[in-house]
Amino acid sequence: MPGLEPLVGLRVVADAGALDRARWSGDGPITVVRIAPDEAFAIGATAVEVGDADAIVEPEFGFSAVSLDDAGLDRVLAHVEFHVPSERPMLVQGKVAGVPARLLLEGGRTLLIVQTAYGHDLETRLR
Amino acid sequence: MTDAIRVDGADLAFEAGDSVAIAIVRSGAWPTAGGTLCLAGDCGNCLVEADGVAYVRSCQVAARAGLDVRRHPAANKPVLPASSDYEPDIAVQRQEVDVAVIGSGQAGRRAAARAEAAGRRVAVLDATDGHEAVGLYPGPAVVARGADGMLHLAGHEVVVATGTAELHPVVPGNRLAGLLTKRAAQRLVDAGVNLGRVVTVGPELVRFEGDEAGHVQAVVMRDNATGAEATMECDTVVVDLGLTPRDLLARMTSGAAVSTAGPVGDAHQLPPPASDPEAVLCGCMGTTVADLQVAWDAGYTNIELLKRASWAGLGPCQGGACLPHLRAFIISRTGVMPAPFTARPAARQITLAEAAADTTIDAFRQTPLHEEHLALGATMDRFGGWWRPWHYGDAVAEYHAVRERVSLGDVSTLGKLVVSGPDVVEALERLYPCHVADIKPGRSRYALLLNERGHVMDDGMILRESETRFVLTFTSGGAANAEMWLRDWIETWGLRVHVMDRTMSLAAINVTGPLAKELLARAGLIDPPRYLGHAHADVAGIPCHVMRLSFTGEASFELHHPIDRSVELWRALTDLGADLGIAPHGLQALFGLRLEKGHVIVGMDTELDTTPRRLGMDWAVRMEKPSFIGRASLERTARLAQTRRWVGFKMDGVAPVEGSPIWSDGDIVGNVTGSWMSPILDKALVLGWQKRLPFTDTVEIDGRSAVVTPTPFYDPEGVRARA
Repeated sequence: MPGLEPLVGLRVVADAGALDRARWSGDGPITVVRIAPDEAFAIGATAVEVGDADAIVEPEFGFSAVSLDDAGLDRVLAHVEFHVPSERPMLVQGKVAGVPARLLLEGGRTLLIVQTAYGHDLETRLR
Repeated sequence: MTDAIRVDGADLAFEAGDSVAIAIVRSGAWPTAGGTLCLAGDCGNCLVEADGVAYVRSCQVAARAGLDVRRHPAANKPVLPASSDYEPDIAVQRQEVDVAVIGSGQAGRRAAARAEAAGRRVAVLDATDGHEAVGLYPGPAVVARGADGMLHLAGHEVVVATGTAELHPVVPGNRLAGLLTKRAAQRLVDAGVNLGRVVTVGPELVRFEGDEAGHVQAVVMRDNATGAEATMECDTVVVDLGLTPRDLLARMTSGAAVSTAGPVGDAHQLPPPASDPEAVLCGCMGTTVADLQVAWDAGYTNIELLKRASWAGLGPCQGGACLPHLRAFIISRTGVMPAPFTARPAARQITLAEAAADTTIDAFRQTPLHEEHLALGATMDRFGGWWRPWHYGDAVAEYHAVRERVSLGDVSTLGKLVVSGPDVVEALERLYPCHVADIKPGRSRYALLLNERGHVMDDGMILRESETRFVLTFTSGGAANAEMWLRDWIETWGLRVHVMDRTMSLAAINVTGPLAKELLARAGLIDPPRYLGHAHADVAGIPCHVMRLSFTGEASFELHHPIDRSVELWRALTDLGADLGIAPHGLQALFGLRLEKGHVIVGMDTELDTTPRRLGMDWAVRMEKPSFIGRASLERTARLAQTRRWVGFKMDGVAPVEGSPIWSDGDIVGNVTGSWMSPILDKALVLGWQKRLPFTDTVEIDGRSAVVTPTPFYDPEGVRARA
C-alpha cells in the first residue's frame, strides 16, 4: 500500500441545512467529506460560504489519506469489521485494522482517510 | 492399512476415514484414561494433544499421516505450550448474511430453504462441510473454523440447528474405558472396529465394574420389576439412555435474533437424578454427586451458582455431558425445572492464534513531535491513548530546566474542543460547576467536569474567544469521553451550540520556566498574555493560540498550533533557547513538577466517586449557581460527614512507590496516588487518600512516618506561575 499523504482543506461545523448549501472554493479540485450531518471536511478547499453565523470554520491539517485502487481496497477490506455498502459514492467510518478511519468510496477510486495521529499505526498494521 | 499417526511416540496405523479417536479405539486402546465416548464432539472424554494443541477432541480430528498425538494424562491437565515464537498467520474471512444457520441436518436445511425462499442471503455452517462453528456472540455473529482459517460471520439472524446429543451415564465406574454411547458404538461398528463382547444397557444401569487397568469388565443392572441386580461380563458397554439438546452454541447468547430449529429446541426428558455420591457427574472437572451435594448444602441452589461452586460444567464441554444431570439434580430437590446454564465461546478448542486472528490491540496516537522525541533520546511510553516521552534520560535534569531556566513540553495530547453558538454560554453554565458567563474574551478559567452524581470526570480550561465562541481543553485520556458528554447534553437540551473536536488537528508545546517569556520574546512574542489570558499570535512565524496558565508551577505558555508546523516550531524554540539552557521535559518530570504544586491528575489521583470536596477543590464549585450537572448531588453530599480526603504528605527518605498503602494504627487507611523526591525541597512528597475516620495528621507509608502537609508544597502563593 502506498504511504499516507497529509490532506489540507477546510473543516466546518454548521447547521446541516447550511452545510448542504455551502459553497466551497479553492485552487484545485475539492472533495467534500461529510463526516457528520453538521460537519464536513472539504479537501482542497480554501474558503467557504456557509449560511450559519455561528459556524465553526477552521483550516484542517489533521488528516492523512491514501488513494486505493480496487486491489488495494480489497486488501483494506480484509481488515474492516463493519459493513461496507455497495452503493457509490459512499462514506463509511469505523475501525480499519483496529484504527479509527474512514473510507470514501467513489466509482473507481477509494480514499482511505485517517487522522494523522493514527497514521503510523494504520500503516504498520496494513503493511 | 494405509498410514500411521504417532500416539505417545509410537506409530499407530489408521484406516481411511478414521478420526484419531476411532484409530485409537481400533488399536484396542482408549483416547483418554476413561469415560463414555460419544464420538460426536459433545463430551470431553476424548481430549488429546494434537500437533502441540492440547484439549482437542480426538473424535473431531481426522487421522492423517504423521499427526503427532499425545494423550492427556489421567490426572492433572496438560500445560499450555511454553513457546513464544509460534505465530502462525491465520487468515480471517468476513462475511455478512441475513441468516446464518448452524447445522446442515434436516432442520438446518429446512430453515435455510425457508430463508432463501424469502429472498434472504443465507450461510449454512457445518463441520462436515468445512466450517466448524466455535462461537456465537451477541450481534449476532458466528465465528467458525475452517481449513483455510477463521470465518467471522455477521448475521442479522442466527438459527441454531445442531440436533441432539446422547445422555451420558452418571453411575459408579463411569470413568472406566470401554464405555460408548449408542451412536458412538454404531460409528465404530461401521468403521469395522471390533468391540469384543458388547452389552447394551438402558435405564436399568446400576454401575460399571472394571479391571486394574481401568477398563470395563462388567456392568451391573437392576430389574425394575424385582429389584434384583444382575452382572454381565463384557469388553464394551453401550449405554442407551436417551437424547438431550446439543445446545452448547445456543446457550452462548440469546435474544430475538437467535433461534433454534429442530430437536435442539425441543423439550427432552431429563435423566433420573444421579444418586450415588461416588459417581462422577462432570467428567471434565471430576465433580462427583457428593461434590454437588456439598455445594448445594452450602446454599448454591441457583444453577449458575451451583456450576461455579461445584465446577460441574466448567470444563471443555461446558455441560455437554453433565448439564442434564445437573438440572435433574436441582429439580429433584426443588421441583422446579431450572433453565440451562450459559456457555461461552469456544465450543471447540481453538488455539490462541485462531482466537486472536486479525484482532488488534488499541491504537496509540503519535504527536507530530514523535520523531523529535526519539531523536532526543526519549524513552516513550503509552499514556492516555498517546505515545508520550516519559523522560529524555534524566528526569531530574529536566525538572531543573523547568524550575530554573526554560523547558519545552509536548502537550499536543490535550483534548481541544471549539464550541460556538447562540446558546453556548447557557450550555457551558449547565455543564460546568464554575461560572462561565463572566469569563471575558481573551480570558480563561480552570474547570472541573462533573457527572450527575457530582463525581469528577475530567478537568481542563475554558477559554473565551468571543461572546459566542469558546475553546475547551481536557485531559489527554479523558478528552474523547468529555466530547461525547458535551455532545450528548447539548443535544438533550436542544441548545444551539456547534462542537468541533480539534484534538488531533492542533499540536501544543508548553513553554515553561522563569525564562519562558524571554524565549517567547526572542520568537517574536513581545507582549504575551498575562496569567490566565490567551491570544492568537505568531511565534517564530507560526500562527499559535497562546494560552497562559501553569501546571508546572512556573510561568507557562501553551502554544497551540497546526500539527504540520509543529516540528518547525519545536526546533525554532530549541534553537532560540540554546543559550538559555533550554531542555525538553517528559512526563516523569512533569508529574514531579505538578506534584510539588499539588495539582490533581484526573484518572490518576481520582477514583470513580471522587467529589470536589474530597479533593479539597470546593473552590472550583460555585454552589450559588442555580443549576449545573452534579449540583443536586453535591448539595446532598455536602450535608454528610466527609469520610475521604485527598491530601499531601511529606516524609524523609526516598519517595514511596505510587500505589503504596497508607497505614494508620496498624490499618490500611488509604493509598499513594503520586510521589516524588523533590530536588528543590529535599523531601519525599506524596499525594494520596485517607479513607478512614478520624483523619490523622501522621501516617505510615513504606514503614516510615509521613506528615499531612497543606498543598501546594512549592510556591504556595503562586507567585512564580504569575511572574
